[in-house]
Amino acid sequence: MNFEHCIRCTICVENCPVMLVNPDFPGPKQAGPDAQRFRSDREKAEDEWVLLCSQCKRCEMACPCGVEPARIILKAQQRYGLEHTHSLAHLLFANNYYLSALGSLTAPIANRFAATKIGKKIFAAIRIATYIPFPKFRFRKLSWNKKTPNRRSRKVAFFYGCFINFYRPDIGKKIIQLLKSFNVDVVLPPQWCCGLPALGNGNLQLARSFALKNTASLSNYIDAGYDILYSCTSCGLCLLHDYQDIMDIPKAKKIAENTYDLHEYILKLVDDNYIKPQFQEVRKKLAYHIPCHLRALGIGYPAAKLMSMIPGLECEIIDDNCCGLSGSYGFKKSNEATAIQIGNRAVARIKKTGAEAIVADCGSCRMQLGGISGLATIDPAEVLSEALGITLTKKKSSRV
Amino acid sequence: MSVTEYDAIILGAGVAGLTAGSFLAERGFKVALVTSGEPTVCLSTGCIDVCSRDHNPLTGIKGLAPEHPFHLVPEKTIRESLNNFQTAMMDMGFPYTGTAEENRLILSALGTFKTSCLVPSTMKAAPQDTKDSIHIITFAGLKDFYPSYILSRRKNTKFSVYDAGVSSTMGIASLFEEKDFLESFIDWLKGQNIGEDKIAFPAVLGLESAAEIVQKIAAHIGKPVFEIPTIPPSMPGRRLFNAMKDYFRKKGGDIYWEWPVIGVEKSGRIIEAVMTASKGRPNSLNGKAFILATGSFVGGGITAGRETITENIFNLQVFAPSPRETWFENDYFSFNHGIGRAGIKVDSSLRPEGSRWENIFVCGGILADTEILKNGCGHGLALATAHLAAQSCMEHIR
Repeated sequence: MNFEHCIRCTICVENCPVMLVNPDFPGPKQAGPDAQRFRSDREKAEDEWVLLCSQCKRCEMACPCGVEPARIILKAQQRYGLEHTHSLAHLLFANNYYLSALGSLTAPIANRFAATKIGKKIFAAIRIATYIPFPKFRFRKLSWNKKTPNRRSRKVAFFYGCFINFYRPDIGKKIIQLLKSFNVDVVLPPQWCCGLPALGNGNLQLARSFALKNTASLSNYIDAGYDILYSCTSCGLCLLHDYQDIMDIPKAKKIAENTYDLHEYILKLVDDNYIKPQFQEVRKKLAYHIPCHLRALGIGYPAAKLMSMIPGLECEIIDDNCCGLSGSYGFKKSNEATAIQIGNRAVARIKKTGAEAIVADCGSCRMQLGGISGLATIDPAEVLSEALGITLTKKKSSRV
Repeated sequence: MSVTEYDAIILGAGVAGLTAGSFLAERGFKVALVTSGEPTVCLSTGCIDVCSRDHNPLTGIKGLAPEHPFHLVPEKTIRESLNNFQTAMMDMGFPYTGTAEENRLILSALGTFKTSCLVPSTMKAAPQDTKDSIHIITFAGLKDFYPSYILSRRKNTKFSVYDAGVSSTMGIASLFEEKDFLESFIDWLKGQNIGEDKIAFPAVLGLESAAEIVQKIAAHIGKPVFEIPTIPPSMPGRRLFNAMKDYFRKKGGDIYWEWPVIGVEKSGRIIEAVMTASKGRPNSLNGKAFILATGSFVGGGITAGRETITENIFNLQVFAPSPRETWFENDYFSFNHGIGRAGIKVDSSLRPEGSRWENIFVCGGILADTEILKNGCGHGLALATAHLAAQSCMEHIR
C-alpha cells in the first residue's frame, strides 16, 4: 500500500462528496493514508466511520501522487466487516443478486408489495431508505444465450449486469440490437453479479466467489475469440480493476485485457472503419452526468464522443458531481441524508444546463438523479438507438 | 476519420496545459488533454503572479537572469496571454482584476502582503497598505486560518466568528452556494454593526459563484469585502482550475482523467502516440504534436534521484545545476536553492533543447531556470509559455 506517498496536499479532500455534506466522515485523507499509519493487525478495528465512505473513488482520481485513499478505506471496511456484526441492510445488499433474482421471478407480487405501507414499514425496520422509489423488478430477465452462428468477423460476449437484467432488460435488448445493426455477433454468456455490491457491503468472500464464476465463464469466451463488453460502468470497473487489484482473481488480467466499455468498443469499430453509423437528427438537449466509475476507468468519455456525432443533439458533460447513491450506499438508512444532499447538489448543477433529460451510463445514477430531479433519465445506448431508428418489437415487450 | 487521433495532445491539466489546450481548441484543432490526478493549481492561491520583482511585472521580466524562459516569449505574446486569460475567466463567471503593467498586493493569512499581477475579483478590495481598518470574519472550527496572525501584524483589525455548522473549507464554501444560507449569513453580518473600513474573509465564500457572493455581501453591508487566500484546501485555486477546465471543454477539448502515461510510440524524429494503462488494459492516443505541461517536482513532471533528475514521460534531458552540492542552500527558506533551476531547456520554439523530437513543445513549471519562488512568476509564466508553445505547435501541425 502506498499511503506513505501522501504529501497531505488535501486535493482528495476537495473531491470527496461525502465529506462535503457529512461532518461525521473525516474525509479520504484522514480515513485513508493518515489513519493507515495507526491501523494494526493486533488491535480490533474501531474506525466505524470508514463505512461512511461511498467508494466513488473520486479521491483516487484526484490524487497527484498516486495514493489510493478509497482502496485503503475499502480494506479498512472489509476488516471492520470481518470483526463486527453486519447490519441486516449490509447483508441484504451484499446478496443483492440473489434477492433480485427472487424479486424478478416474483416481479408482479414483489413490486406491489414494495409499494405497500407494510412493505415500506419493513424497509424502514431493516433500515433501508425509501426516499427514491425502489427500482421495479421486471418479470422476464435476459436469458443466457451461449452460442450464435459465427457469421461475422466481430463477436462479443455481453456482460449486461444486474441492473439491466433485473430492472431494465429492455435496455439490454436495445444494446443487443444496436450491436447487431453494427454487424457484430452477440452472445450472452453465463454470468453472475460482478461482485461489487458484496465488496461494497463488506463481504470480500462473497465478492470473490462471484468473481471466480464470472472469470471462468468469460475466459472461455475470450479463448473462443470474443471480446467482452459491459455497459454498466461500475460492473466494468469491478471487472477490470477490482478483480485484479483487490480480489486477486487468477485470470483477472486476461479478462481486463479483453473487456471493453460498450461505447469504447463502438468507437473502435468506427476507428477501424468497420462501421460508418448514419445517425439521424435527434433534437434534444441533454445533460450527460458522468458516473464516477466511468471517470475512474481512464478511457475518456466514449459515449459523449458518439453522441457528439448525432446531428441536432446538444449534450453537456458534467463530471464534477457524484450522484450520491453509489449503488446500495444511499439505500441504507444510515447514509440516506448524505445521499440526498449529494444528490441535490448534482441535480442543482444539472438544472443549470436547462437540459430536458439526464443521460448516464450507470443505472443507479439514473435512479438517484431521476428520483430527485423528476427529469427523465436515459442510457446513452438508448440515445444511439433513437438516432439509428432502432426500436424493440412490441410483442417481445417485457414491461410488467 | 479516426476518433482516437488528435491534432495535439496536452500532457498535464495545470494552468499551462489547459491554456495551451484552449488556445488550440479555440482555433478549431482537435485537442485531447490527459492527466493523472489533479494539478497543483488547486493548491495555489488562484492568483496569477507574472513577475514580482518590480512594481511593473513587464519591467521585472526584463531584469530576470538571461537564461530565464520568459525571455523567449515576446512581450506582445505575454500581454495577449494575460488578456485572453482575463476574457476567458470573465466568460466563465470568475473574473480577474489587474493589468500587465502593475502588480498589486493581497493580504495573506499571516498578515503579510503577497505581490501578484492578476487576482480574482474576490480579492480586489484587499488593502494596498496598512492604513485601512479591517474586520475579519472567520468560521467556527475552521482549521488553518487564524485571524490572530493578522492581528499581530496590523493595527485597527478586529475579528468575529460565525458558526456555519460545518467546519471544513469545502463544506463552508458549498453552504455559501445555497441561497438560504447566504441570506441568513448576511442577516447575521448586518447585526454585527461593523465599524471598520473593510470586511475580510478566509477564501471560503462559495465555489463556482464566489464572485457574485462577494458582490452580494458587499452590496448588502455597504462596505468593501475581500477574501484572504488560505493554505490548501484552497478555494480560489480550485475555482481557477474548474473554470479553466470548463472553458477548455466548452471550446471543444476532450479531457482524459486517470490517464498516467506509461509509454510512447515513436518513429524517426516524431512521437506518434502516448500510451497508458487504463484500468487493467493498455490504451493509446495518437497525436500530431504533444505539449508537455506536466509541471515540476510537485506536479509530477520531473523526479529527482540522488544524483540525477529525470523527465517522466519522454525521458527528455533535464538540466540540473551542478555540482549536486549547489541544489540546496543551508537556509531552508532561501529563495536561491539551485534545484529551483532544474527543468527542461528549450529553444525559441519551446522544443526541448538537444532532443531529436520535432513535435514536442514544453511549457509551464517544467521549464528550466524558472526559479518560480524567487521571481514570483508561477501562473503568469505558465500562461505566457503555453501561448508560445501552442503557437509553435500550430505552425508544426500546419
